[in-house]
Amino acid sequence: MKGEFQPKNEKVIVHGVLWLNSKFIGFALGLTCGLIIFITTNWLVIKGGDPVGPNLQLLSQYFIGYRVSFLGSIIGFIYGFAVGTLSGALIGWIYNSIAGFRVRLDGKSR
Amino acid sequence: MEVENLANGKYEGKEAIVIIGAGPAGLSAAYDLVSCGIQPIVFEKSSTVGGISRTENRDGYYFDIGGHRFLSKIDYINRLWQKMLGENLLNVRRLSRIYYKGRFFNYPLVPSNALINLGPIESVLIVLSYLRAQLQFNTEDTTFEQWVSNRFGSRLYKTFFKTYTEKVWGIPCNQIRADWAAQRIKGLSLVAALSNAILRTQKARTLVDQFVYPLQGPGMMWRSFQQAIETGGGQIHFDSEVLEIGSENGRVVGVSFSKNGQPYDIPADHVISSMPINRLVRALHRITPSEVTDAADGLSYRSFLIVNLIVRRKELFKDQWIYVHSPEVLVGRIQNFKNWSAAMVPDPEMSSVGMEYFCNEGDEIWIMPDEQLIALATSELEKLGLAQGREVVNGFVVRQSQAYPVYDEGYKDNLQTIKHFLDGIQNLQTIGRNGMHRYNNMDHSMLTGIFAAKNILGEQHDVWNVNEDEEYLEEYREERAAAALSTEILETAFCRMDKLAFAVAVGAVSGLTVFIATLWLIIKGGEVVGPHLSLLSQYFAGYSVTVKGAFIAFSYTFFWGFLFAWLFAYLRNLLVAYYIYRTKRKAEMFSLNDLFDRL
Ligand SMILES: Cc1cc2nc3c(=O)[nH]c(=O)nc-3n(C[C@H](O)[C@H](O)[C@H](O)COP(=O)(O)OP(=O)(O)OC[C@H]3O[C@@H](n4cnc5c(N)ncnc54)[C@H](O)[C@@H]3O)c2cc1C
Repeated sequence: MKGEFQPKNEKVIVHGVLWLNSKFIGFALGLTCGLIIFITTNWLVIKGGDPVGPNLQLLSQYFIGYRVSFLGSIIGFIYGFAVGTLSGALIGWIYNSIAGFRVRLDGKSR
Repeated sequence: MEVENLANGKYEGKEAIVIIGAGPAGLSAAYDLVSCGIQPIVFEKSSTVGGISRTENRDGYYFDIGGHRFLSKIDYINRLWQKMLGENLLNVRRLSRIYYKGRFFNYPLVPSNALINLGPIESVLIVLSYLRAQLQFNTEDTTFEQWVSNRFGSRLYKTFFKTYTEKVWGIPCNQIRADWAAQRIKGLSLVAALSNAILRTQKARTLVDQFVYPLQGPGMMWRSFQQAIETGGGQIHFDSEVLEIGSENGRVVGVSFSKNGQPYDIPADHVISSMPINRLVRALHRITPSEVTDAADGLSYRSFLIVNLIVRRKELFKDQWIYVHSPEVLVGRIQNFKNWSAAMVPDPEMSSVGMEYFCNEGDEIWIMPDEQLIALATSELEKLGLAQGREVVNGFVVRQSQAYPVYDEGYKDNLQTIKHFLDGIQNLQTIGRNGMHRYNNMDHSMLTGIFAAKNILGEQHDVWNVNEDEEYLEEYREERAAAALSTEILETAFCRMDKLAFAVAVGAVSGLTVFIATLWLIIKGGEVVGPHLSLLSQYFAGYSVTVKGAFIAFSYTFFWGFLFAWLFAYLRNLLVAYYIYRTKRKAEMFSLNDLFDRL
């Protein structure tokens, strides 16, 4: 909707650009990655077998100290959380930098 | 007490509290004071109580100045009404339809009913024009006409909105600015609409389909207030017009009024005024700065006249009132008082209709002699096919000046200037509809009076905070809910996502992850380097766990990450835009439900 009577808030919503909160995105992605590793590891532990989760075990190539065991699931959670947080924060930072640059380029401002 | 004694300041040593006007606001203030053992003096320039909400009685036929529904979400007011009239308050089931081209249309408009009544050709044309409007984005919304046409199509606008709105306000709809519509049509705020949609607080604002009504019209209520005030020792002086208010050092000290042509002055310790605010400013002319006088002169009003016709017919139509959209007649609304309460008509074989004409003071219809007005109303009643001219046995005309405070371009600034000036007078309070130049209904007018009385008793209420739009509590709650979600949150949730920025960010981070994962295995080394990761080559042709492979993997993952993220952002923006569009349209639809009630 255009028109001179469009309230200011409305203009921001309709024409503004979304800004990502790097901290939140980092935290959310970190938590997601951490939980995925935690749950998948424990799932294999509960299922059992010999050996337990040989493929998931390959994670230890990157996450030193990780094993398909309950303790390993906690270690995996910590690694997953760290990598997820870093990636999320990076996505947020890159997004905001590019979006900010483009807004300045367009001469639009928030 | 005789006026002469008042003029001599004989109040038996008590504080003199003067109330100007015996309409709902003034009477409520007086009643509240009397209930606390204080006896105010009310001056009323007419000879009856009730102001615009009075009931006239001619030959046993009762009629309102436009039908007055008693409808409030303020418990205190509802209890007060019950207390005053008890069993004499009737519950009335509302029926008020639109009358157009000899047919009754449900109000609010129901598509099936409207389309059946309009016939197949007109219906198709309306639907086509509606669809065209839906497909036109980015249209200008500067006037009321554009505002409605852009949403509902120009044909529907011409049929159901144009004529009635123009009758009520007397200006072409293409000259009514859209911000005026914004004041009438709630839900225009996108922020509020979104908040309500998220918090699920918005209900369809259907018309309140029941209201209470005194057996013999609203006048019965005000007579009951009059009785209570007089029994409690308060005084109401009729035919007493306050002309001037005297003040000293920022305080009112007395009022001058005229009764039966005789001028009187009386001292006053407090004044509560419900006279129109522009006249109040004039009554304070000795101390009014010129910019305040100019602001008062800048306020305008729409007037109203009602031609009451007595018709020899048992039943005319079922509605309490109908909105007349037909452009070929001047009448805007027709009241059928018998359907408000059977006791409004002395003979069950007869009916009494109030033909309402909206006008400006001094214009052609306002100055038309009563006989001509009665003839006009009779001929229009016949033209509309509602009764035969010969069935009309009698008629009366009532002119009501300053019926509607007009919200024009400058009114807010003017009102602010006046308010600022009045705030400087400590013991003067202005209340009510015209007293505050607000579209207040009876309940809100009453509440301002009650608050003013309580302020004199030491409480602290800001009468200007009595919300004119609080008419429906649901709506009020919606506003509160809207305030609960800050705009910032809404912006975060609903602003457009920069697709390119998001795609680059996700692409870069995904690419980097695989790049580092590959390099890590190379650094770690071993007999066979990264046998498992090298399986990626199944998807990324040319990939291997080597430095070159790391770059190849980066390119691939960047590409796919970019693509998916771009698509994600695109779809997200599309869905959000659609959601915003739907939410806003829905809010507008809801708000249009009772537009005619709010005009
Ligand atoms: C057509 C129409 C339909 C309406 N329908 C409804 C409805 O259905 N429901 C509803 O709740 N509300 C309705 N209203 C609104 C309702 O009429 C008002 O809210 C209410 O009457 C306002 O009360 P008030 O006391 O503020 O002002 P008023 O009713 O205007 O009373 C003011 C009084 O002050 C007196 N006065 C003015 N100047 C002086 C002076 N200088 N000296 C002494 N006395 C003076 C006047 O004579 C009048 O009696 C309707 C209004 C109109 C115009």
